[in-house]
Amino acid sequence: MLVKPSRRAAAALAGLGLLLVGCAKDAPQDTFRPAGENARDIDGLQRPLFYVAGVVGLIVFAFIGYAMWKFRDRGQEIPEQSHGNPKLEIVLTVLPAVILAAFAVPAVSQVFALDKSDNECVINVTGQQWWWEYDYEKGSTCGGVEIPESIVTAGELVIPADTPVLLRITSRDVIHSFWIPRLNGKRDAVPGRLHTLRMHADEPGIYVGQCTEFCGLSHARMRQAAVALDTADFQAWVDNQLAPYQAPAEGTLAAEGESEYAAQCSRCHQVNGLTDDSGNPVLAEPDQSVLAGAAPNLTNLMTRTAFAGWTFDLISDECRDRLWNEPSETFGDVYLQGVWMYTPADATTPACFNELNLREWLRNPPAMKPMYTDPDKLEATDGLTRGMPNLNLTDEQIEVLVAYLLERK
Amino acid sequence: MFTTGSKLLFGASALSLVTALVYAWSTEGALSSAGTLGLLSLFVIFAFLGGVNYANRDCNVSSMDEAAVDTAAAAQRPGASSVWPAVVALGIAGLVVGAVSKPAVFKVAVVVLLAGLVEWMVLGWSERAGGDAAFNADTRRRMLHPLEFPVLGALALGAIVYAFSRLMLRLDKDQGRIAFGVVAALVLAGAFLFAGKRKPSKRAVLGISTVAAIALLGAGVASALQGQRSIDEHPTTRTDTEVCLQVGADEEIDADATQSVSATSNLVANIYLKADGSLVAHVSGYPDEARAQLTVPRRAQVNLLFHNESDEAQRLTARTGEGEDESLVCTAAVEEGDQAFLSFQAVRGGVLLVPGLVGGEIELLVP
Ligand code: HEC
Ligand SMILES: [Cu+2]
Repeated sequence: MLVKPSRRAAAALAGLGLLLVGCAKDAPQDTFRPAGENARDIDGLQRPLFYVAGVVGLIVFAFIGYAMWKFRDRGQEIPEQSHGNPKLEIVLTVLPAVILAAFAVPAVSQVFALDKSDNECVINVTGQQWWWEYDYEKGSTCGGVEIPESIVTAGELVIPADTPVLLRITSRDVIHSFWIPRLNGKRDAVPGRLHTLRMHADEPGIYVGQCTEFCGLSHARMRQAAVALDTADFQAWVDNQLAPYQAPAEGTLAAEGESEYAAQCSRCHQVNGLTDDSGNPVLAEPDQSVLAGAAPNLTNLMTRTAFAGWTFDLISDECRDRLWNEPSETFGDVYLQGVWMYTPADATTPACFNELNLREWLRNPPAMKPMYTDPDKLEATDGLTRGMPNLNLTDEQIEVLVAYLLERK
Repeated sequence: MFTTGSKLLFGASALSLVTALVYAWSTEGALSSAGTLGLLSLFVIFAFLGGVNYANRDCNVSSMDEAAVDTAAAAQRPGASSVWPAVVALGIAGLVVGAVSKPAVFKVAVVVLLAGLVEWMVLGWSERAGGDAAFNADTRRRMLHPLEFPVLGALALGAIVYAFSRLMLRLDKDQGRIAFGVVAALVLAGAFLFAGKRKPSKRAVLGISTVAAIALLGAGVASALQGQRSIDEHPTTRTDTEVCLQVGADEEIDADATQSVSATSNLVANIYLKADGSLVAHVSGYPDEARAQLTVPRRAQVNLLFHNESDEAQRLTARTGEGEDESLVCTAAVEEGDQAFLSFQAVRGGVLLVPGLVGGEIELLVP
């Protein structure tokens, strides 16, 4: 029986609709828009392969369609049945084999080419449930910029633009996978193993990514970004990261926040340069509280644009849109101002600070991002949490802590 | 007489009536209680449906044929007596026993019960599939053999593997050689026997196989009961202070240490003790560069490979933290030209050192 034309049209329309769903306009994690050498190499490989595969696919479907039409049931006799056709079978085996063998040459050589070892910057990347930590080695140089002291950050990987960067990736707990689609393929982070991944961004800008190995409860909220800066801006970023600690002015909310921070947060989080009453450095001991043995370093929290597995914005939606669309010449300038970006010079409060998100986080982190922190359910880990627990802070405590954190820039 | 369908419904109706009476009686006679009323309604409904079925003879044309009541497939006497009701009963008993003793018994009983039920149902159905007993038996076989054979095969295989594994865990090196030498010889002898001119009878083959299977299972169970042999350990990583700072090899402690390493990829670094007495790190990311410094993430597993290229046995020690927090991890003494793995986690920075080697230390940074 033939399908009525109207039904056929409806089916075609539905199919087309489905197809169009694939055409997202605003897709920051689009592998088809490579923004660096490695990603471009991969793209340059996958496109011709896709075209050839597409043509083969079309030919196959055309044959199938033709056969279905030509031999459709019109009540005719069943034709003579035959079995086997050696000539055809050999051709149909050899042809794909030849095509695949031809593909294997560029594909395999590309795999090795992506593993080249020339690099001008080495950064350690460590995954844990559910955020990424980056550390820059003391005494190394990164795109010509000296790193005189270790730098530790979280979520946002800052790299020099137009520089081959090598990530040394591992994990503190389960297997994660690091992926910035516009810069390169993905690489698993496996505890006890060290995997390397090359990064290269042509131009300053922000490149978004996501953990791509299922890693438990908040896997979906384990995101990351790479931020590329030109050499001068990268130098400025490094200087800022290593700038000496600025204690809050006495009598301010932030000063109250400092002691609140020391009491509540410093057992897990590190703020470099913070000292106790007798002048000894306050050193975090996250391994006493957190299963992975680490919590994000908060020394320069306000230089990042998102937090907690790069999931919640630290800047407002508007500012984020503006920053992401900033041309590469001005991007670094804006980015380096952190939450103070787009703030008029005479203003006293930052225009872009997403205070609401930070407050919500401090009020009840596991409500915002699912984590294993319920004290009644931590027997399996001997009381160690995976993620940040609810500290039952009061409004006043949150107030002063936010004031203190706002100065960590 | 009664058609098959109406028999079921009349039976259900009668059951409802009986339960209604029992219920009414056991709850002290309240005829108007919801339970009694519900059961009585069921009695009426089933009786009505049964009557309808009976009146139109199950809507089954062939059942209009009075004679078919005795000749139809469904009226066939079941074949030979079956073992499955007994298996099901065993399963139910197992459930009860399991419920009060061990969960494992309960789980096994569930499996037995389900298997018994499935077999019984298919058997009951197939015995009435047609009028011919041979056809019925064949139907059952076609339904269940594809299920039974793989499961039985897997069980048999599992038993063999289990028996072998227990046996091998029980025997030590020398006993293992003897035992499996004998077994191999027996297999060889058997092969000669079977391949020889005079073919052994089927019964002989069956007998020998049975004896072999029982022997294997018996040996397996016996070894499982005796437990594993004690397995010697050859520790390659140590954390005791005296050892980790000891120069050169220790006769006693290092005697059995393994001197070969299989995992050589994806290391954080290769550490070389050179012939000239220098200690250097080759770190991925810094090709062709001998470094005197290594940065590792805090509290992450760090795997290093120590290559001893000097001319005497030496160990590599990681010393991290200070004062009370100081912790030491080291390899066993590594013979000249050999390698060892050093695996540790560091919370604070420190050094990698070779005890007794002056000046050659690698700075270990933990940011
Ligand atoms: C028990 C350890 C622990 C304590 C105490 C703790 N945190 Fe956290 N915190 C964490 C962990 C773990 C994370 C990472 C959670 C994630 O992203 O999955 C985190 C994340 C954060 C982040 C996001 C940082 C980023 O860049 O992603 C902020 C901000 C933060 N904590 C602030 C605080 C403040 C302020 C306090 C004190 C009131 C505090 N934390 C106390 C463990 C802790
Ligand atoms: Cu992950």
